[in-house]
Amino acid sequence: MASKIAAAKDIITLHGSAAIVSEFFFYPEESFVKVKKYGLPMLLIEDESVKSFMSNLTSQISEWLEAGKLQRVVLVIMSKATGEVLERWNFRIETDKEVVEKGVSREKSDKEIMREIQAIMRQVASSITYLPCLDETCVFDVLAYTDADVAVPFTWIDSDPKLIANPQMVKLHAFDTKIHKVDTLVSYKNDEWDEEDA
Amino acid sequence: MIVRTPPPKKQRSDDGGSPATAGNPLVTYEDSPLQTCHDHSDQYLCTYQCRQMVKADVLDALSKAERQARESQTKLQTLNDKFTQADAERKQFRDKFLYSEQELAAAKGREKVLQEQLLVEITNSQDRFTKQLQSSHTLEVNLQNEMNLRKKAESSLATAEEKAKLFEEKLSQLSASVDREKKRLNSDIAHLGKEAKLSVSRIGADLERMQCRAQNAETESGLLRSQLEHLKHKFDECLQEKTELAMKLASFTSQASPSDNSVLVKHLQEELKRYEAEVREARKFKSQNFDAELLKEKLLEEKSRRERAESELSKLQQLQLSMDKLENELSSWKSLLNDIPGVACPDDIFMKFSTLQKEVLDSTVKIGEASTRSKQLEVALDATQLGRQNAETEAALAKEKSEALKSDVKRIEVMLSLVTEEREQLKAVLSEFRKSNSGGFMSGATDGALVQGLQSSLAKKENYLKDLENDLSQLKDVNNRQRNEIELLNEKLVNEARKIKSLERDSDRLRSEISLLESKLGHGDFSAANTKVLRMVNTLGVENEAKQTIEALQAELQKTRERLLAVEELKSQSGDPGKLVDSHITGKISQLKEQIATLEKREERYKTVFADRISVFRRACCELFGYKIVMDEHQRPNGIPITRFTLQSIYAQSDDEKLEFEYESGNTSILDNQYASQGEIAKQVEIFIRKFNSIPAFTANLTMESFNRRTLY
Repeated sequence: MASKIAAAKDIITLHGSAAIVSEFFFYPEESFVKVKKYGLPMLLIEDESVKSFMSNLTSQISEWLEAGKLQRVVLVIMSKATGEVLERWNFRIETDKEVVEKGVSREKSDKEIMREIQAIMRQVASSITYLPCLDETCVFDVLAYTDADVAVPFTWIDSDPKLIANPQMVKLHAFDTKIHKVDTLVSYKNDEWDEEDA
Repeated sequence: MIVRTPPPKKQRSDDGGSPATAGNPLVTYEDSPLQTCHDHSDQYLCTYQCRQMVKADVLDALSKAERQARESQTKLQTLNDKFTQADAERKQFRDKFLYSEQELAAAKGREKVLQEQLLVEITNSQDRFTKQLQSSHTLEVNLQNEMNLRKKAESSLATAEEKAKLFEEKLSQLSASVDREKKRLNSDIAHLGKEAKLSVSRIGADLERMQCRAQNAETESGLLRSQLEHLKHKFDECLQEKTELAMKLASFTSQASPSDNSVLVKHLQEELKRYEAEVREARKFKSQNFDAELLKEKLLEEKSRRERAESELSKLQQLQLSMDKLENELSSWKSLLNDIPGVACPDDIFMKFSTLQKEVLDSTVKIGEASTRSKQLEVALDATQLGRQNAETEAALAKEKSEALKSDVKRIEVMLSLVTEEREQLKAVLSEFRKSNSGGFMSGATDGALVQGLQSSLAKKENYLKDLENDLSQLKDVNNRQRNEIELLNEKLVNEARKIKSLERDSDRLRSEISLLESKLGHGDFSAANTKVLRMVNTLGVENEAKQTIEALQAELQKTRERLLAVEELKSQSGDPGKLVDSHITGKISQLKEQIATLEKREERYKTVFADRISVFRRACCELFGYKIVMDEHQRPNGIPITRFTLQSIYAQSDDEKLEFEYESGNTSILDNQYASQGEIAKQVEIFIRKFNSIPAFTANLTMESFNRRTLY
């Protein structure tokens, strides 16, 4: 039971951050509503298609999380015209195998978890200051790194990792539930101006 | 010497002497009276003759005695010669003895020298041993010091890292707060801009309202003027009527009775009064109407004001919230400022930032230095450990050596004791010899035996010396061997040190590789052996179509809105007929909206049904034809859309066994990939697809082959 709750928390976090990222780049301001979560005001998307996409995604991801099969969730932002990957939001998940297999529960207060999530949210929100400007229409995609023995669901397919060649990387805060540890890292395309300067 | 002749000689003289003097002892002349007095008292009775006889006897005896004396002198001389001979022999023996003694002393000296040498060697070895022990002690002390230093360095490293982390956290906090501040300021600016816009629009609205009022007033004044003119006209008409009536009256007065006239006049006056009342009422109505319009306008104004006030109220609440937040932030900032040492005002923060960054850089540099230092210390530690081990081995060797030397010393002591015993024996022999010498002459045989004993002892001594020399040479050999061994060990040590250095270099290289791999991993690299990358199938693509239709509908809606606006304009221009059109259009819009809503609902339902059906279809396809089919939309560089199909057999033995097809306007063609360009597969492609133009035959054949491979082998 505890694991389910925690898994749901993880999902909410990823969902929230994805929505926040999509706020900045893809959808008009009217399609968001302000919601208070983790003690922070957040914008959640109201667009039904994205919502249904997210609900499908989160249900599958929570299934994997509960089984301890998920290694990483990556949100990829690509140029719509060229398909070039511009940003990769990496959420590396380390699952405590003991908890998943034996059902042992660790002691960590919800307040502390909330505080850690808040810190990441703040960092994600502030990342707009250093991430390069996206001045073209973009699309996003979500990749899931799973264990190799996972059966592929019918609504999912194998994919290439959509890596960025020679990326800039910024490591964000990590947070730790009682079961999963989530490391956050954003990598983005190297700014050409910088390279020319260098 | 002559007086005290030895008794054996006396015996000999008795044996060879005359028997006449046998009874008379030999008496000296001077002694004779005494002897006669004591021993022979009857000599006093002798006569002269007797005396003469005695004289003659004495003379005879004297001559005999003289002869005997001569004989004895000759004998003495011979004895003396013999004695001298014996003496010479004794001297010779003494010399030999002395020589042997000297030799003994020399042997002793050599022995002593050897002992001293051994002692020196022992002391040297002991010194060396103590030195090595001391060096090992010092090395141990050094090791402990180094360990302590290393621990200190590690602790300082840890503290530096902690500091760096703290600084980083502070930095991130500060940067986050700065970002927040920036955002807040931006939002404030936007808010202020919005407010300014609002006020501008409000002023514009006020202006428009005033213009409307002015226009209304103008139109009203026009209306009033027209009414005034109308009333004037009426008044003129009334005057004309009045004059006419007066004329009529005059004519009537002339024609009819004055009573009738007066009645008529009264009637007319009443009518006139009624008219006047009506006019007043009309004026009142007019003013009331005007007032009502004014009131309506005021009401509208008040309503708008109320709305504005309400919006302002909600804004006020938001502002209060933001004010609270700002105050909180300000307090947190202040507390942060208080927390940050050496910062009095916010301007100092930038300075502090730069100093902190510098500190972070310094600390990272220090960390690097500390790590290099620790590495150096590790290397030194290893070297010292090796040195210690070597020293220990050397100490063990020295101990062995010292033990060997001790055993040698013991051996030598045993030899010494043997030598001393021999010396004692020699001394005993010498004393015997001396005794024999003092006792008289020795026989040649015993002398020869003694000489032989001495010679044999000398030979033994020489043997011992040789043995000792051999021992010394052996010890030297052992020493040389040990030296060689030590040199070999030193060479090995140097080799080991080189190996350690190369291993350290390797470890550094590996560390850098590890860091590189870690960064790669952080970026998103993965191993295909235990990780799969998945993405959700194209659901947003389906949704995109729906979005496009929605967008088209929205565009249509926009168009109709524009039309509506145009119609409204027309309506305002042409009055009543517009209303009909307006109601018609709004009805149509609501209809269209309903239609849109139903269409959207239907679309949602279709989507879910489609997703279900397509999953069933996919599964069925997979089950029936043995291929998992993945469809992807692509665009060529020239913008032509292509559908790509990726087929993977369910009997595939690896993930790389994939076939890729492109579908473009009714034509399906296979794409060359790694799997398709394998020899066997390429042959099949050539035969089935290129020659007979049949993809199903190819896939079926491939399925059969994969199936056989899976089941038969």
